[in-house]
Amino acid sequence: MYIQIEEPTETISADAVKMWRISNSVGHGIVFLIIGVLIVCTEILNWYGWIGVVLYIIGGITILSAIYSILIEPVFLQKTWRYKIDPQFIQLKHGKWQTQHTLIPMEKVEYVRTKQGPIMRHYQLYKIEIGTTTSSHVIPAIASEQAKRLQAEIAVYAKIQDSQVGGGERA
Amino acid sequence: MNQTAKRYHPAIIVVETVKLVKNSIWFFLFLFVLKASSTSNWVIWGRYLFLIITLWGLVSILLRWFFHRYEIDRDSIVLYEGIFVKEKRTFALYRVHNQTSSTTFVHQWFGLTSLTLETGTSGENASAEFPVITNEEKERIIIHLQQKQDSIEAGDEGVVDQTERRKVHFRSTKKDIVKASFTSLSFLAIFPLLGAIYTNLADYLHIEKTAKNALDYLLIHWWVMIILFVLALGLSAVLGFFKTMWKYGNFVISDDDERIYIEKGVGRFVSFSIPKHRVQAIVVEQSILKRILGLAAIKLISAGGFEDEEKEETSSLYPFMPKQEAYRVLHTILPEYRIEEHMERFPLKVLWLKLLHPYYLTILAIIGLWIFKPEWLWIAAIVFVISILLRILDYWFTSYMRDGNTIQIRKGGITNETFVTHRERIQQITVKHTWLQRRFGVATLQFTNKAKPTHDTELYGVSKEEAGTFYTWYKKKSTS
Repeated sequence: MYIQIEEPTETISADAVKMWRISNSVGHGIVFLIIGVLIVCTEILNWYGWIGVVLYIIGGITILSAIYSILIEPVFLQKTWRYKIDPQFIQLKHGKWQTQHTLIPMEKVEYVRTKQGPIMRHYQLYKIEIGTTTSSHVIPAIASEQAKRLQAEIAVYAKIQDSQVGGGERA
Repeated sequence: MNQTAKRYHPAIIVVETVKLVKNSIWFFLFLFVLKASSTSNWVIWGRYLFLIITLWGLVSILLRWFFHRYEIDRDSIVLYEGIFVKEKRTFALYRVHNQTSSTTFVHQWFGLTSLTLETGTSGENASAEFPVITNEEKERIIIHLQQKQDSIEAGDEGVVDQTERRKVHFRSTKKDIVKASFTSLSFLAIFPLLGAIYTNLADYLHIEKTAKNALDYLLIHWWVMIILFVLALGLSAVLGFFKTMWKYGNFVISDDDERIYIEKGVGRFVSFSIPKHRVQAIVVEQSILKRILGLAAIKLISAGGFEDEEKEETSSLYPFMPKQEAYRVLHTILPEYRIEEHMERFPLKVLWLKLLHPYYLTILAIIGLWIFKPEWLWIAAIVFVISILLRILDYWFTSYMRDGNTIQIRKGGITNETFVTHRERIQQITVKHTWLQRRFGVATLQFTNKAKPTHDTELYGVSKEEAGTFYTWYKKKSTS
């Protein structure tokens, strides 16, 4: 532990690794497809030479990015993601090379919602989006049951805090 | 105070028409005067389009006056808007953060004013605007609003006449205006202006040749040039004075127990008021020139910000006050915001760390110049030196302090900015550290304050111990 604080403890679903791998593969696949089509176009339509060079450079960067975000990143992200929700605060922590701790007081929470894409549905995962007056935060990949429970929990906590504050600040 | 919906004062038609003329005058000049002899298609179409838009503008002003209504309830203000699509907007009075009233020349002719109530939200429901109302009506709304707010905040202590308890803390004098007009450097504005006039005239009148002769003449009779120069400088100083007078003349800062009031302007009179407990943070700003002259600008950060440029400076206490005077005023009206002058710099290792970061701009300059202009590659060296200098300045002027529930951050270089806020005003925090930062034992703090737009603060290079304490400090907030 680098910084002496009470760190959050809850982990996110182990399926997150597979989920991220698939979704990142799909994303990179689409980019490769576009670059491929453009390279073919340069060859056939005789576009300026430098366009081809730029495309190959972008392609190379995409390959590196694909290796990182399909093979390496999901494992570390899943391993390092921690959250904790108590009646007063939401605590989030993630990242290995750059570790980030976020602390959101319950009374500042404006809304909470769960979201799910097709790949997440396959693994029965949800992401929880927590919106405050100034920004929004996401806890990725929580199993369905758990996600529903957390959403209800946050909503209840946030509401309790709201009535204590007197609701002077919001709609 | 229940009553039926009211229509705005008919003078709104004049006020809005003046606004319309003001906004479209440049298009008019461009299309009908500057391009008067042009017969190209887009100019002709532009003229038709301009006429249609202006005509529609005039008609819609009339329609708006006819259809728009407002209504003031016990707890809320309701605006009825829209010509074809009817819209009803309701503002809860307790949500109003601050209010601004501005009186332009046109308003003055009719003895009227305008009023804007800002709520702490974004989007189209952010503010309720009364473009034209009578002064009595404005007073009525404000008193009603204040009574409502006071009864919420102070329980039922009973409402006292606030105007009686108002104390004036600052009133700008002629001397202040002179100082301000000098500081804002507006007297230099004449030179680009003269240049622009000259080049424009040169195009029209072909005075290049005569000008050359004139220049020869001036070079010989150099004293004429000096006199002309001094005259131009004097003229622009006078112009600058009037411009500053117009904006900051009759500046008055006052307060009572609940609110802060700022009034200013000659010709265009603006008044602003905010309940003290709605102030989210304080910013003290000093440009290089202000630092030399010992002046400072103090800004009040509040959730109901100001979008349009003219009002931007409204929330700041008089921007050209001597620093100590500014602090004195601030401490009297907002005693909970203490600004600590003496701040510690970060340890020197933070400077090395900052210098270690990649120099993206330099790399970009090298690559760009290499490809397009290899013989200018030396520019990259200048870019590199400037980036190093900026990083050193950045290190030199960055400092951080936490005391009780107050947090104070100073950042700078060219313009110094000291930011002070309280734990309760911070919306959320993030502490982060990269691999490189861990090698140096430091971390980055980030926190957000409610403002418009959201005010984010990022502080790089806090020691890891302090980062931990900061995190726990914020977490203890609800128990303390």
